[in-house]
Amino acid sequence: MKLLTHNMLTSHVKGVTKGYPLLIKATEVKVNDVDFNPQFVCRMIPKLEWSALVEAADLLGHRQDLPSELVPDYEKNEDFLKKVHRALLEVEVIEGCLQCPESGREFPISRGIPNMLLNEDEV
Amino acid sequence: PTTSRSFYAGRRSKEEKKVFRKQLRASHTLLKHEGIRTTRQPTKSLVVANGGLGNGVSREELSAVLREMGAMENLVMPPHKPFAFVTYRCEEDATNAHTRLNGQKLLCAENSVVLYLSYVNSVAETLPQGLVLVEDFVSPEEEAQLLAAVDWSSAHEDVSAQKALKHRRVKHYGFEFRYDNNNVDKDKPLPACLPGECLPVLERCLRDGHINIMPDQLTINQYESGQGIPPHVDTHSAFEDTILSLSLGAKAVMEFRHPDGRVVAVVLPSRSLLVMKGESRYLWTHGITPRKFDLVPACESQSAALASPDVRTQSGLTLSKRGTRTSFTFRKIRHERCRCAFPSACDSQRTTSPSPASPPSLPCCRADAALLEEEYVHRVYDAIASHFSSTRHSPWPHVCQFLNLLAPGSVLADVGCGNGKYLGVNPELVAVGCDRSGALVQICADRGFHAFVSDALSVPLRTASCDACISIAVIHHFSTQERRLAAVRELVRLLKPGGQALVYVWAFEQEYNKQKSKYLKDHNRDSSPTQNSSKKTQEPHGEPDTQRHSYYPAEDKLSVHTNRTAFNSQDLLVPWHLKEGNNDTSGCSSAPVFHRYYHVFQQGELEQLCSQVAGVKVKSSYHDQGNWCVVLEKDPSLQMI
Repeated sequence: MKLLTHNMLTSHVKGVTKGYPLLIKATEVKVNDVDFNPQFVCRMIPKLEWSALVEAADLLGHRQDLPSELVPDYEKNEDFLKKVHRALLEVEVIEGCLQCPESGREFPISRGIPNMLLNEDEV
Repeated sequence: PTTSRSFYAGRRSKEEKKVFRKQLRASHTLLKHEGIRTTRQPTKSLVVANGGLGNGVSREELSAVLREMGAMENLVMPPHKPFAFVTYRCEEDATNAHTRLNGQKLLCAENSVVLYLSYVNSVAETLPQGLVLVEDFVSPEEEAQLLAAVDWSSAHEDVSAQKALKHRRVKHYGFEFRYDNNNVDKDKPLPACLPGECLPVLERCLRDGHINIMPDQLTINQYESGQGIPPHVDTHSAFEDTILSLSLGAKAVMEFRHPDGRVVAVVLPSRSLLVMKGESRYLWTHGITPRKFDLVPACESQSAALASPDVRTQSGLTLSKRGTRTSFTFRKIRHERCRCAFPSACDSQRTTSPSPASPPSLPCCRADAALLEEEYVHRVYDAIASHFSSTRHSPWPHVCQFLNLLAPGSVLADVGCGNGKYLGVNPELVAVGCDRSGALVQICADRGFHAFVSDALSVPLRTASCDACISIAVIHHFSTQERRLAAVRELVRLLKPGGQALVYVWAFEQEYNKQKSKYLKDHNRDSSPTQNSSKKTQEPHGEPDTQRHSYYPAEDKLSVHTNRTAFNSQDLLVPWHLKEGNNDTSGCSSAPVFHRYYHVFQQGELEQLCSQVAGVKVKSSYHDQGNWCVVLEKDPSLQMI
């Protein structure tokens, strides 16, 4: 699971209102090599929950001193974009789980894939 | 004449050089990404780069070409990989294949590929995913100690009964495993905990990273020659993921079987440790056939772990007499429900175990609907995932058009993404896919796409977080009107105001505007059951089936459809004949058949369904190759909280 996916995922357990962002508990993390496309990263940034990304990257030890708030004019800052690229698209949680911040329910991540299926009684 | 000859020779060698360069590159990629070592020295086996199921090459197409080169003994095509392995009876035939096929284009039904062949010393028929075999895990001294530590005399009174029945002997420590319900009495731990002699072995397992937690249950099985254990999956709800099995006293062959028919035979040498995790633990069954002799590889240079179950196709095998083998299986008791990615084999995630001896009826309530879909949709896709994926290559033009018209940077959710076919069509999009089938999502991940496992009725993405959604050939798998409506509602929920969703469902009317859909048109061509459908298959159709199945018109029973004919009912079971993974080269008459549930939509039905969702408008609706399609737009003026 890359942090881009994590940024979009939310807990959908019945009755939960504050299910975002999910807490990451990682037992195995990998960093991949992904082609850097600055325009793509640029366009992605406004779609993200920035603080959730920074928190997650920080937890996994790959914050690379990304700021807690977006700085203006980031579009031209290639260094900054590279760091965002790395955090969003290269860091990958292979094993672990995602925890709903409200209910505590854990969703397993196995072989890089989060299993978000709920049981009959949780839907 | 001399000049022209040398000129000609020079041109040829330039071509040869180009092919050689590409072949080198292919070899490098195989080594770097797959760990496959090639060699310059001719051998009997070749790796065929670009000739894999992952390239859209079918077994039929490739083996037809390879057989022309010589006496082909074995063809291994690992699921969704971009290569295959071929073994010939002699080096000469392999060399012939190499000379004549290297750098040549292979024209397949769906595409064409250029094949690069290199010699390999061993054919890496991959072990089931998650399975690791560690040889020489314990020393001969430790082996003797462990065997001596088992006190068979204090085992159950059943010992004599077991001996009389010629069953293997069993002893449990920590918790007792019950064979009546295949589960563990978690509230009643046994008085005897794991023997102290096991501790160093377990600590070694911890240290080597095979486990993170100490196991608390041990089952010791002793197999005399001629004894075995039937194929089974260790109950999900009883034990955690990793299962360790130490083989002592003698070697044996354990067979792993995947629901899609693939069988992998693994030699377990004495003093070796078998680690089962993930798919090998949750989805593949494992068993030991009761035999007095096993077939094991003869020579050491071959992959020592693997033995072919079929003596006709594998050379270099020898008979190995079985001795008395004792296995120590260490497991950790699971105290919560199992939440693995293989719900089809999971007792925690299945509400009851369905065993439809008679054909199912249309469900009348949510629980029945969920059960029907579990049996006739989810279980099937998990079993056929790799074959299914290999027949799903060409993205449909109209869907691509929709995707390519989206603004760069748009967030797209593909609900029911299958093998990720559409996730890479427009690389400017921020695309995320989800599917109910863990096996299919794994294929997406292998391809580098962002995907997760979830149900289309409850997608764990925030409301109004997507610029666009697609749901291609998904909603027709829901067995009630309510669920189909709920699926559309969920799609719409994900959309931002002004966002658009594209939905495709299978149409009842396969003929439209006097044009037969591709599905119907191919009926006459596919008259023989041995035809491979990957040439002609268009989503979501299956294999040709010339047998008439029985039809149940009364009592709302679901009828089984005859592939490539017109539909005579809206709710039906459509057969899928599994092709790949079946080692039987004599034809597909023994291929397993799976039935998938579909509700095929009548003209106007999909629009009618969408009109029941508030805040949404149908922007366009059309018929595309046997499907009804709509584009929905969420009201741009909707206020989002």
